[in-house]
Amino acid sequence: MVFSSITFIFYFLPIVLAIYYMVPKKMQNLILLVASLLFYFYGEPKYVILMVFEIIVAYLFGRLIDKKHKKIFLIIPIAIIVGLLVYFKYIDFLIQNVNVIFEKDIDLVKVILPIGISFYTFQIISYIVDVYRGEVKVQKNILNLATYVALFPQLIAGPIVRYKTIDAQLDNRKHSIENVSIGIRRFVIGLGKKVLIANVLGELVNVFLASNERSVLFYWLYAFANMMQIYFDFSGYSDMAIGLVKMFGFEFPENFNYPYISSSITEFWRRWHISLGTWFRDYIYIPLGGNRVSKIKHLRNILIVWLLTGLWHGAAWNFIIWGLYFGILLILEKEFILKKVDKIPKIIRILATFFIVMISFIIFSGESKIEIFENIKGLFGIGGISLTSLESIYYLKSYAVVLIISLIGATPLMKNVFKDKKVSNFLEPVFILFVLIISTSYIIDGSFNPFLYFRF
Amino acid sequence: MEKTKNVIIIIEFVFVLIVMLVANIVKLDDAVSVTERRKLAQFPAFTKNSVFSGKFASDFDKYAVDQFVRRDSFKEIKYWFSMNIFNQKDSNKMFVKDGSIYKLEYPLNENAVKKSAEKLQTVQEKYLKNANVYYSIIPDKTYYLDDNYLKMDYEKIEEIMAEKLQDTKYIDIKNILTKDDFYNTDLHWKQENIIKVVNILNTNMGIVSQTNYEEKIAGEFYGTYYGQVGAKVNADTIKYLTNSNIENAITYNYETNQYSKVYDLEKFETSSDKYDIYLSGATPLITIENQNANTDKELLIFRDSFGSSIAPLLLENYKKVTLIDLRYMNGQLLESYIEFSNQDVLMLYSGTVLNQNILK
Repeated sequence: MVFSSITFIFYFLPIVLAIYYMVPKKMQNLILLVASLLFYFYGEPKYVILMVFEIIVAYLFGRLIDKKHKKIFLIIPIAIIVGLLVYFKYIDFLIQNVNVIFEKDIDLVKVILPIGISFYTFQIISYIVDVYRGEVKVQKNILNLATYVALFPQLIAGPIVRYKTIDAQLDNRKHSIENVSIGIRRFVIGLGKKVLIANVLGELVNVFLASNERSVLFYWLYAFANMMQIYFDFSGYSDMAIGLVKMFGFEFPENFNYPYISSSITEFWRRWHISLGTWFRDYIYIPLGGNRVSKIKHLRNILIVWLLTGLWHGAAWNFIIWGLYFGILLILEKEFILKKVDKIPKIIRILATFFIVMISFIIFSGESKIEIFENIKGLFGIGGISLTSLESIYYLKSYAVVLIISLIGATPLMKNVFKDKKVSNFLEPVFILFVLIISTSYIIDGSFNPFLYFRF
Repeated sequence: MEKTKNVIIIIEFVFVLIVMLVANIVKLDDAVSVTERRKLAQFPAFTKNSVFSGKFASDFDKYAVDQFVRRDSFKEIKYWFSMNIFNQKDSNKMFVKDGSIYKLEYPLNENAVKKSAEKLQTVQEKYLKNANVYYSIIPDKTYYLDDNYLKMDYEKIEEIMAEKLQDTKYIDIKNILTKDDFYNTDLHWKQENIIKVVNILNTNMGIVSQTNYEEKIAGEFYGTYYGQVGAKVNADTIKYLTNSNIENAITYNYETNQYSKVYDLEKFETSSDKYDIYLSGATPLITIENQNANTDKELLIFRDSFGSSIAPLLLENYKKVTLIDLRYMNGQLLESYIEFSNQDVLMLYSGTVLNQNILK
């Protein structure tokens, strides 16, 4: 089930909210767990067993680590859980590459990727590792652990919440009018970001991909719309997740912090998909030695982390290249660029970063090497293509307002408008109702509504 | 103040969710959407198989959208928002201009046009080697808009067709039509406006004819475009042109094995698509016999739905007109039904159909 659907907003959510607030406090986690399992079961009826199995593994080995602090109790569950991730997500990609490299003809397994497996795998690993490290107490109530892993707001598209973040909240959290109200606002804003901006820009991206009449202007429209679609989709989903858990009294950390105003790639990754970045930092980069090792090893660590970051986004070469592209850029920044760019005006640095990120998302979205090269070359007019075409001008006019709104929305400008209490007290309730109704109308009209995380 | 705001936000959110939930549960499900002219998804079967295969979930999602309370009003809101706030030029490729609904038929799919042309070429080579074959292309409505709108490149379509359909004569009707010759709520042309097209076709096919018709009104008409756009547009009126030849003509439908009249007034009353008044609507093969004809000439028309309304006006100078819709029947099967002699042949297709590769 996706958040931006009628089933979720007008059937699942009101029923779950009503039951949750009607039952006694001690039953609320159980309600959340049952709702979460139903939520997952609805979209992935068969794979719910897989998730439950992984939860049991995490629970049992957590208890074992608690009793006997042995490394083997850390290694076994991680091997099982990572093994399952590799099998379900990467096995066919591995076979394809083995077939190409060694000229073999091994049949593909053609296994279907369980939705959200990359997210809950990382959450389970964080739990086991944190228990092993002694950073959190073991969870003795399996229902609480299952609620943490399966919690439906973050189950299929993140953010990746570390166990220690919500450990205490599982037993004791604050339900208040203010929290519910903030949660609603966050959810509706996220819904609007997804349905009204990301999906609409997704239409433009699709029009471009289907077009035979590409001009330089059209390549730029595509590149811009594509990066905005990805941002508004990802961050919209995170907003909805953060808003939903807030309605149930939880506090999740922020996952995006206006990444497109970054003035360096290093800063961009501090602002983009923060929960993924911190996960890789805490569970891969630092255990590998981080930067407290020789320079060569440090560079190796950076490249490993970014290779894995790329792979995490999907089992395909473009994601690996996308990850390494950032890895190399981050090394260049750390070693050379950041020391020298101080004198360059900030706006230039922001624009340069924006451009580099825009190129990265062309790689991210590319279905093939040829397509990626074509779409990058096109930006520079290489290949004798015309500057504009009737088609690109038509779509520029048709999407100009959405593109401008997306640009403004990617900056903290709107947040500042609502900072003025007088303005926000009056405007916000109207705005929220408006966005909810308009988003609903877009969903009902059957407009383009993709789920971008099916490869994660 | 902050607290009041919080309470208002919660109340409005909960109100919308609960009201919609209750309304959706209480509302009786509709079987069809009259405006969209399609069956609406019904509550899916709840079985072990459907649940575990995920079919129940995907069907329920469709059901929830299709049966949503005040669905048409939400579609109107969406259309209004995308056109007026987002200032988009179309919404799901549809837009209203000067009270008329248009659908972007862009871009041209050259490959599809080639395939369509090849299908016609195959028919021509197989059956029509010695016949007088003419062809014509009907532009879609957007062709008549100014250059701020995207439209198919009809010159390119003509080029592809000319390349494939050699030894045939092209009759250009593009420039005699205007956007007013099409319905406001539908893709088709108005029969009462296409006498000029008939004249051009007749002239090119070597027929001298001056026929008088009586214009009759069948009634109000909301076309296929109407349900696809969330905007209110005035209804069209279906009119039909008739005279004694048409009144006395008999049609025979090979699919239903039924004899009927050229204008099916009963279908006009009962069908969801009022355009079915012309020759009773879409069908693979139908003939019209002109009982009053003083000639033995016959005409074969390879056509799409536009042909239904123009065929009666071409009847005057033929004893029999046969309409073949290659969207619904394979060209290879024609010899089982039609005896090819030296009939006149007209291939009359809309650009929209040629651009889809749907000819069999």
